[in-house]
Amino acid sequence: MSARSPRPSRIITTLLAAGAIAITAGCSGGIAGGNDPGESGAAPEGPIALGMLAPFSGSESAFGVYMQQGAELAIQEINADGGVLGQELELVVEDDACDATTSVAAANKLVTEGIVASVGGYCSGATLPTLPIFDQAGIPMVIPAANSNDLPDAGLPGVFLINGTGTQQAQSAVQYAQQEGATTVAVIDDATSYSADLAEAFVEQADAAGVEVAFEATVTPGENDYASVATQLAQAAPDLVYWTGYYQEGALINRQSVDAGFEGIFMVADGSIDASFAEITGEGYIENVVGTFTQTPDMLVGAESWIADYEELAGAAPGPYSTQAYDAVRIVAQAMEDAGSTEFDAVVTALEGLEDFETFAGPLTFTEDHTRESGGFVIVSIDPESGQFVLKDDLQG
Amino acid sequence: MMQLIWNGLIVGSFYSLVALGYSMVYGIIKLLNFAHGDIYMLGAFVGFLVLSSFGGIPAAMSIPALLVILLLAMVVTGLIGVAIERVAYRPLRSSPRLAVLITAIGVSFTLEYGIRQLFGPNPRAFPVRLSSESFDVLGMRVSLSQLVLVVVAAVLMFVLAHIVERTREGRAMRAIALDPQAAHLMGVNVNRVIATVFFIGSALAGAAGVMAGAYYGSIDFLMGFVIGLKAFTAAVIGGIGNLYGAMLGGLLLGLLESFGAAWLGGEWRDVFSFAILIVILTFKPTGLLGARVVERM
Repeated sequence: MSARSPRPSRIITTLLAAGAIAITAGCSGGIAGGNDPGESGAAPEGPIALGMLAPFSGSESAFGVYMQQGAELAIQEINADGGVLGQELELVVEDDACDATTSVAAANKLVTEGIVASVGGYCSGATLPTLPIFDQAGIPMVIPAANSNDLPDAGLPGVFLINGTGTQQAQSAVQYAQQEGATTVAVIDDATSYSADLAEAFVEQADAAGVEVAFEATVTPGENDYASVATQLAQAAPDLVYWTGYYQEGALINRQSVDAGFEGIFMVADGSIDASFAEITGEGYIENVVGTFTQTPDMLVGAESWIADYEELAGAAPGPYSTQAYDAVRIVAQAMEDAGSTEFDAVVTALEGLEDFETFAGPLTFTEDHTRESGGFVIVSIDPESGQFVLKDDLQG
Repeated sequence: MMQLIWNGLIVGSFYSLVALGYSMVYGIIKLLNFAHGDIYMLGAFVGFLVLSSFGGIPAAMSIPALLVILLLAMVVTGLIGVAIERVAYRPLRSSPRLAVLITAIGVSFTLEYGIRQLFGPNPRAFPVRLSSESFDVLGMRVSLSQLVLVVVAAVLMFVLAHIVERTREGRAMRAIALDPQAAHLMGVNVNRVIATVFFIGSALAGAAGVMAGAYYGSIDFLMGFVIGLKAFTAAVIGGIGNLYGAMLGGLLLGLLESFGAAWLGGEWRDVFSFAILIVILTFKPTGLLGARVVERM
């Protein structure tokens, strides 16, 4: 296998890295030996490797690059500050192609490369099967992007999610609905599991908040004509409707609903946040559209210097999930620093103990099931000039 | 109620236009042309390409401009249909029918993923939109664009019926449908007539594609897939091979979907409409207007 490996350079790099570790380890008595903390053996020797699985090929590959660069920036800053536990951090990335089979192989590869924590995970479907692999290897995971409820539901001790899940997204949607004085709401999903789960969470939270759910519907994605659901929506006449599917259908439903006489707010979930939404739904149909979305770098207030640093490192502007990956690295580094060790139990305890850790999406404290206590989502609306979704309300005020 | 009927008629006219091509091709060479839905998609992309190369078109001009584009796209998709027949179906005409079915599926994938390579996988917004200002008639919200759409569909179907029933070419088509060998012996140029059928059927699908682009506003490389299946269903319900059957089947399917979605909810729509279709076919296996089945050798 190795003799015919399509990527021989990778193996050579690994060998060199292993050699480098051996050499550093050999010298550590002289350089780092003096300031070793009390528990000798717990602190690592040689660079601390963090692993990241992300898509670098296929349709989602742009996000992998954003995540990698975000993580690299955090590592650069931390190393410039003296590293973690006296050691430098380094990032090892592997392509999971947003595919379950590829991600399992890639996760095993990361484990053999000796990573001590994972800061990757973009596609939930590709991240889920890697959970037991990292768990058995004793590697804690701080997942920056993937946010399916299936991840915390797996119940593994070392899995932490820093992106908001469906529950938090539904929470922000209901919060905004109340803020806008909506008394009746509706929800439409596209029958995919992501969309249906989010719709269900939205209905639960709306009920809990005392907002009446006037209309619920499911549509078949991939069609053009949604006139029947649009007509029903217009008749139910809720103050706000929440669309939990993707942008193509969402844009068509919005347009057809307005044509059918719907006058409320059309709110979309993160799957519909795309510049094509405005294009497809068309001019004159975007004023009533808002969305719930994970914060992206261009929505940050007062982060100009961060963006400048990022551009200097990456040679390109940050994109979606750059900030989350950046935060994931900082969170892991902080936990290791707190734990005084890179050992699994100690790091997990330290992660659970984090309190109001500053992240781009607001202060972070982990709940019992290792998801964010709150926040992570903002309200966006469409800028009529560019057709892009831009920040409208960060829901923190 | 009236609104449901109107909604159903709009979707139904798209189904009918596409179903006509299925039905004509099946009627004449007993081929299920699975690439037909993709011709609809090609029509939309031809319109997209021409419109985007023109740049902006003033809103007042949008309807006349669209009619021109419509004709242009019909010619282009018609020629593509003829080419597909020439390359993928004619050489196999005397082969087992399964072989042609597979080449049809092959053509379908070739068109879909060819377009994906050219235009990318993401949906594209159609450059010209029919204005959707609406007015109330008989308790229905009707927009000008919907009227244009229904009228254009009706005109196209009328012209088609005229061609098939009143012209020499049409008589030749009907003759081939009855018995290709006898027609050939009687001096009918079979290849030319079949090419004409492909031209007309593909042109109708292309027209439906342009109208869908202008009406709904979003096109993508897989847009022909679902409508292809639905139109095929419509053609069978109406009685495949029968032109009026295809029109009727398309409208009926549109109405069933509209009522199914309203009565039972969107997630039950397909269950409802297809359950009724199963019942219809159980009692009338040849379809609503299906002719007596003439078994040929």
